[in-house]
Amino acid sequence: MDKNQACYLCKGCGLGEALDFDNLEEVLGESGVSEVKTHDALCSPDGVALIQADVDGGVNAVLIGACSSRVKTDEFNFGSQVIVERASLREQALMCSEAEYEGEETAGEDRQMLAADYLRMSAVKLAKSNVPVPFKLELEPETALMVVGGGVAGINAALAGAKAGVQVYLVEKEAALGGFLGKMAKLAPETPPYQELEDTGLEELVAQVEADGKIKVYTGNTVDKTAGAPGNFTVTLSGGDTFRCGAIVQATGWLPYEPEKLADELAYGSNPGIITNVDMEAKAKAGELGGLGAVAFIQCAGSRDQNHLPYCSAVCCTVSLKQAMMVKEANPEAAVYVIYKDIRTPGQSEEVYREAQRKGVVFIRRDEDYPKISESGGKLAIETMDMTLNDTVEIDELDMVVLATGLKPNNPKVVDAPLVALGMDQEAAKKLAAESKAACDSWSVLNLQYRQGPNLPTLKYAYPDSHFICFPYETRRTGIYTAGTVRRPMRVSQAVEDATGAALKAIQAAHAAAEGVAVHPRSGDMSFPEFAMQRCTQCKRCTEECPFGAINEDEKANPLPNPTRCRRCGVCMGACPERIISFKNYSVDMIGSMIKSIEVPEEDEEKPRVIILACENDALPAIDMAARKGHKWSPYIRFIPVRCLGSVNLVWIADALSSGIDGVMLFGCRHGEDYQCHFIKGSELANVRMSKISETLDRLVLESDRVRVEEISFNEVDRVPEIIAEFMETIEEVGPNPYKGF
Amino acid sequence: MATKAYDKSFREEVYQNVDSGEDVKLCMQCGVCGITCPLRDEMTHGPRQLWSLIRAGKRDEVMNSPDIMLCTSCYSCKVRCPRGVKVIDVMHGLAHYALEQGIVPRKETSKFGKAFWDSIYKTGRVDETEVPMRYTMMAGPIHGIFNMLEMMDIGRALLSHKRMKFKIGPGLPPSKKIKGMKGLKKMLNKAKAMSPGKEG
Repeated sequence: MDKNQACYLCKGCGLGEALDFDNLEEVLGESGVSEVKTHDALCSPDGVALIQADVDGGVNAVLIGACSSRVKTDEFNFGSQVIVERASLREQALMCSEAEYEGEETAGEDRQMLAADYLRMSAVKLAKSNVPVPFKLELEPETALMVVGGGVAGINAALAGAKAGVQVYLVEKEAALGGFLGKMAKLAPETPPYQELEDTGLEELVAQVEADGKIKVYTGNTVDKTAGAPGNFTVTLSGGDTFRCGAIVQATGWLPYEPEKLADELAYGSNPGIITNVDMEAKAKAGELGGLGAVAFIQCAGSRDQNHLPYCSAVCCTVSLKQAMMVKEANPEAAVYVIYKDIRTPGQSEEVYREAQRKGVVFIRRDEDYPKISESGGKLAIETMDMTLNDTVEIDELDMVVLATGLKPNNPKVVDAPLVALGMDQEAAKKLAAESKAACDSWSVLNLQYRQGPNLPTLKYAYPDSHFICFPYETRRTGIYTAGTVRRPMRVSQAVEDATGAALKAIQAAHAAAEGVAVHPRSGDMSFPEFAMQRCTQCKRCTEECPFGAINEDEKANPLPNPTRCRRCGVCMGACPERIISFKNYSVDMIGSMIKSIEVPEEDEEKPRVIILACENDALPAIDMAARKGHKWSPYIRFIPVRCLGSVNLVWIADALSSGIDGVMLFGCRHGEDYQCHFIKGSELANVRMSKISETLDRLVLESDRVRVEEISFNEVDRVPEIIAEFMETIEEVGPNPYKGF
Repeated sequence: MATKAYDKSFREEVYQNVDSGEDVKLCMQCGVCGITCPLRDEMTHGPRQLWSLIRAGKRDEVMNSPDIMLCTSCYSCKVRCPRGVKVIDVMHGLAHYALEQGIVPRKETSKFGKAFWDSIYKTGRVDETEVPMRYTMMAGPIHGIFNMLEMMDIGRALLSHKRMKFKIGPGLPPSKKIKGMKGLKKMLNKAKAMSPGKEG
């Protein structure tokens, strides 16, 4: 593509007074941008019209030196065929810098150099950018949806998909649809005024599925193999059927916590009267609750307990309330006790709690110790600490004791090791976690033909990894979404909501794959990584490190990219030691050249230079906000936005230090257990790689203090100037980079 | 530690026989009633623990708790209860229920109630001199006079502000009866017949 470049500088928001524009035009000229126009308010209709007129006249690469790229995005959008590069002069050169000659006509020298450097970098970036061409699948893209699991979430996902007009394949391992919903007697109140137990409504749901021409149901089938990528998955079922689909919703439910593990604490198995809430539901469904005179429920049986499930399953309280109400409905005279640590009633379940109380259920608050269950004269007795009476009490003449056990992830191979490992020392915990991961991988629902394994990657409790708040149904496998209890314990009504959300996300993903654009978080991004294969050394780093398992391998360990699985984070680009991976508008060469374009003053000028590679998802907005809030920092700082810290290639650090830059900082998201990285593993990988940078620094005979990684979250605006000030002090102590002037 | 058995019969009794007794079911043991009570330092259990004791079937502890007669009906607890338990109604209901069973959980309250009732029953009004005098004298002549001497300053201040009439002793001079005393007595007798218990 022939590039016809032009630069537009804005004099608004105080830039006109603070900067010497003649000098900036000169700088741009030296950087190869000869056509420079200035305007008093570039974002005004008049200013935009000025650019638009040039674009209409053939300009297709626009450099805008004005405000941050995070604002005025609609104004400065000239269509997908025009490259727009924005130098953030307002936030990163003006607002954050303290000019030495404040109030004078002439611009501050440091500030002027800062603005000039940003324009130089932007000019390089513009020169190295190309208009991305969306990836096209070889075969006609498929938009059909596969839903695995025919329970309440699966059925609702299938119905939502069909309603949105796509073909749906619903796969269920049992002979009939229904899942656990089919085993439930009644639902806890789900609609106002939350007082009446409700029917499961399963028959109606199944009838809807059967009547829907867009849903094809495969009962008695499991998924043998899922190959391919979004827009082009090929699925083979255990029954031998094969079909293509564009996206997948996994709604395979949960497993009950094994009550056998509670034999010591709660005497499970010692008496047929001691049952779990799952057994209780079956009894209720069979109508066997009539003869019960006294029943006790023990909450948190094996939940919120470091020796069993450390987490709260969120539903057991409501389930016990429901079952207590069922006992009361069958026999209003029955004495029903709920022995709890905390009654947890999310959503509107507090009303259910009230209704159970109104019906006369007695609630007894216990301490951390489990109640003691004993048998006397054919009946059961419980001895427990009653916190509200501050005394040990005994409840006897019980017909039944129900253990409210929790929900486990739906993988029979999950061992409790990672759950127990929380409190252990790190090394032992890591070992256990690795062992249990290997065990988990020996069993899979989808049997993905991915280089990184057949399963969806999981988090600490072996539930699929997703951002709990921001992207609830996302998994680390693009185009595959989880709904319902497969991703966390939840109630039926929540699973229905989940199912609809996941189905719509899946449809979106299939369409994005068809159009060759990214799904979240870089929604609509048309660029994708391209591999210059002739230089590949088959080191496997890209295939191993991709957080989304996008890259498969052939038998010779050559990477086989699947662009529709890709989220465009650039982690592969950061990983590649041969630097053969690049995007049309983002590459190792581009950022490297930007770094080299920074003008480094001579040592005797005593003006150090520090570059900060900042994650554009969280760190960059924090920097912008800090500047807008009036925070000031050293004018020797140069920010370079990166897609993710994971895309930072070590060669950039070497480039920077060898061209005389005194220090390099990386601003990224929090990593580890409660990570905030949009690309999940990006900031973690950056940390690992940086810990190995000392080799490079040793080769250059440089101090390791010159490179630092900092975690900045979106809201840590006030920390930005503090971190910078501290780093500048360190740089001053270490002294100037000896490579200056080479 | 003493083991107490949860007993179903007493709570059912309270739910059925005590005024607003069913409200006890709704208590979620948050303790707002207990901490909000201006008499919390005087109470042995407080409403929250009483409800817990009722549910556990502790008949003797509940029926003999002075707390159920200590309540001054200030309504703080009833206003603040997040579950809308009519705390005061239950407290008074329990007191009535106890008296009905021949249990007097707090003698002072019972005596004051008697003095109060007698004043209304005899004269149709609550005589502010007569009632305290009769109440204090119930402790016996010597204790009564000492108790009254303790209250002397308050009495003097009330007299000087004409908030109280001067009397040498109970019934000296006797209080004036209201007009239509006959009708009032009829009403009081009927009320007494309707009420399950009586204070004093």
